[in-house]
Amino acid sequence: MTWVFPALGMLVAVLTSISRGSARRYLYASGLGLLVLFFAFPFSSALGYLSREAVHPTPAGLLPSAPVLGTILAVAVLALAPWPRRIHGWVGGLGGLLVLIVVFGWLGRGVFLARIVPLPGVMEGAAALGLAGLAFLVLRGRGALLALVAAALVGGGSYALLAGPAGHTYFPRIAGYYKLLTPISAQETRELIERYNAGLEKANALRAEIGLKKLEPIRSLADLEGGLPKDLAREGVRLVRPASLRYGTLAALFLAGLLLASGFFLARKPELAEEGDLTGGLVAAGVFAVLVPSFYATEFSLAKLVKGWPFFVNFLDRAWPPRLADPAHNVFPLQEVASQMALTVEIALVGTFLAMLFAVPTSFLAARNLTRGSAFTRAIFTLTRAFYNIDRGVDTLILALVFVAAVGLGPFAGVLAMAIHSIADLGKLYSEAIENVEKGPIEALEAVGASGTNVVRWAILPQVLPLFVAYTLYRFEINFRVSIVLGFVGAGGIGFFIQNAMASGMYDQMIIGIIAIVLVVNLIDFGSSWLRSKLV
Amino acid sequence: MIEAKGLGVVFPNGTEALQDINVTIDDGEFVAVIGLSGAGKSTFLRTLNGLVRPTSGSVRVGGVEVGNLSGRSLSRFRRTVGFIFQQFNLVTRLTALENVLHGRLGYLPTWRGLLGLYGEGDYELAAGYLREVGLSGKENVRVDNLSGGQQQRVAIARAMAQQPQLVLADEPMASLDPRLSDVILGLLKSYNEARGVTVLVNIHVLELARRYARRVLAFNQGRLVFDGPAESLTDELAERIYAGSLEAL
Repeated sequence: MTWVFPALGMLVAVLTSISRGSARRYLYASGLGLLVLFFAFPFSSALGYLSREAVHPTPAGLLPSAPVLGTILAVAVLALAPWPRRIHGWVGGLGGLLVLIVVFGWLGRGVFLARIVPLPGVMEGAAALGLAGLAFLVLRGRGALLALVAAALVGGGSYALLAGPAGHTYFPRIAGYYKLLTPISAQETRELIERYNAGLEKANALRAEIGLKKLEPIRSLADLEGGLPKDLAREGVRLVRPASLRYGTLAALFLAGLLLASGFFLARKPELAEEGDLTGGLVAAGVFAVLVPSFYATEFSLAKLVKGWPFFVNFLDRAWPPRLADPAHNVFPLQEVASQMALTVEIALVGTFLAMLFAVPTSFLAARNLTRGSAFTRAIFTLTRAFYNIDRGVDTLILALVFVAAVGLGPFAGVLAMAIHSIADLGKLYSEAIENVEKGPIEALEAVGASGTNVVRWAILPQVLPLFVAYTLYRFEINFRVSIVLGFVGAGGIGFFIQNAMASGMYDQMIIGIIAIVLVVNLIDFGSSWLRSKLV
Repeated sequence: MIEAKGLGVVFPNGTEALQDINVTIDDGEFVAVIGLSGAGKSTFLRTLNGLVRPTSGSVRVGGVEVGNLSGRSLSRFRRTVGFIFQQFNLVTRLTALENVLHGRLGYLPTWRGLLGLYGEGDYELAAGYLREVGLSGKENVRVDNLSGGQQQRVAIARAMAQQPQLVLADEPMASLDPRLSDVILGLLKSYNEARGVTVLVNIHVLELARRYARRVLAFNQGRLVFDGPAESLTDELAERIYAGSLEAL
């Protein structure tokens, strides 16, 4: 199935060239993508004795054992060079072909032994470089020199921390994370295996005494597919399995296909290039470099979905038709859903109302234009904004877990969590509304000699009140959807019903809850947006 | 009486908005202030009610040194000076009457203002001035449902409701249909004549200044370049006032 990946890459290039999009952009994108891949994406796996001893080296890490992989780097660099367009196309096309050959060649290679050489400081350096870049970007507006100095300080400081004993205590996996795999010659491989086989007799005698299975001597490297013997693994030897696909291999195949096809199109039609191709390629490569590892990390797998499909169908079978009531067994799910739904709406109402109660007064303290007066008011502004920012970061569900522990299971915990989290969101929206009021009426009321509080009351409040109401309604919509989930952590409402029905396998009751949620969510969204449209 | 002596204003960005202004205006005068935009007319008016603070010299209104006022004394002073803005600066979500009542806020204790507890007399005054500007019947109409000319008349009624000793109007017709200029200036002029209240109007249309004002002040690049009766403002002189500014543009 590996051919799917280069085919996908080619398909992207074909579709783009049909719509007369730039082919050169893909040359840059795949060149940059291959560059990132070469240094950062795992390309194969290498087994040790324990599963946690397995390493997943990058093409750069495999370079000492397989110098041919350097082709990927060379092609990437060549694809990024400033060629004339037609030549660029040929370079890209041939380069893509070359990468395809190299990768498929690598996949066809048999297993071999290699020794791991951890490179200290690489991950630490990469992390420090990232932080320094971030510092530079944040401070760039305040002058290049300041930004450079700050970036150097941040970078140097974080490198010293991460590479020092503290960093290695808090992030134990960072030390020597990046590894090279140096080759072990055929001669040495043979010696290693012979040594192992020679020691077997003694080991097996010991194992027999404590009732363990006898170990077989190694005849070929293929015998090691299940894992290396303990002693070899301890020495830093790993069994590299080129055929084991990692996402880096698949990404390389995709990019090679893209490079091959778009290079071909550019060579045929040099006009398939645009002004901002390098920037476009950079963006595409950036998205690619972030998305591919994320898909891997989230264990995205179509195969699992296919395998799980019958369970899904089974679920639907058992959920339909819904069981609205069963008087014989004294269960009335529809009644239960109606009551719980009412409770859910009530949680959202009370939570939003309480939040509004606290957000209205604090939002005036968090409005920049009202707090410019003195150092004291500016300090209050900073404090209020800091409170908002921290509060916004702690989600309702997390607060609900804490409150369930504090005040017990039930809707009260949900209401508290919702109220506290919503203060920040509402307060921030309110204060932005206050900051955006028209200045004219404020000036006019100052000019008639009204006191400060009266200026707020008569020049600002009439302007922001409709917005406050609109934002509160909007927050209520969100809070209703949140309160559905609150039940799952035991904070009352329809979520609790659904969780119970699900846990006891009564899908025909649970489906009533789901249908009710769909209906009420749409109803509330519709009603609230209608009300909001009337306000402004 | 308004007395400016060596009045100067420098903005925080370094712009010299007013330089060494010396002028005296008697009670009951109707004065037109002319000049191109950026010449300092607006700043001059704003120093008279303390919206802009002088950075040098002094300006006294009714014997009060405006630059020294702050807090409560500034509010007390401001309630005696009506200000009419080019953009009306009304609270458009409130009714005409409520906006006119704002002119009384300076005379109420803060707590009564907060609750909107205006006195019987305040309501009578407000309704009376709305009638005077020709908007009787519009008391309970929200301001955003009124036309531009009507809105500016509400703003004039708000200034009148302050029962001021001085009315300052900063380009009151600039955002309106030119045909409405006579309505607005006519209202200010008859108010000035009937009550004897001093009125200063910023105008950039020379023709209107000549028609309504007996006295004209002309500003150019922050300096007072002409101060005299409207009749003595010859075309040649006017050209110099405006041309000088053009060079600076």
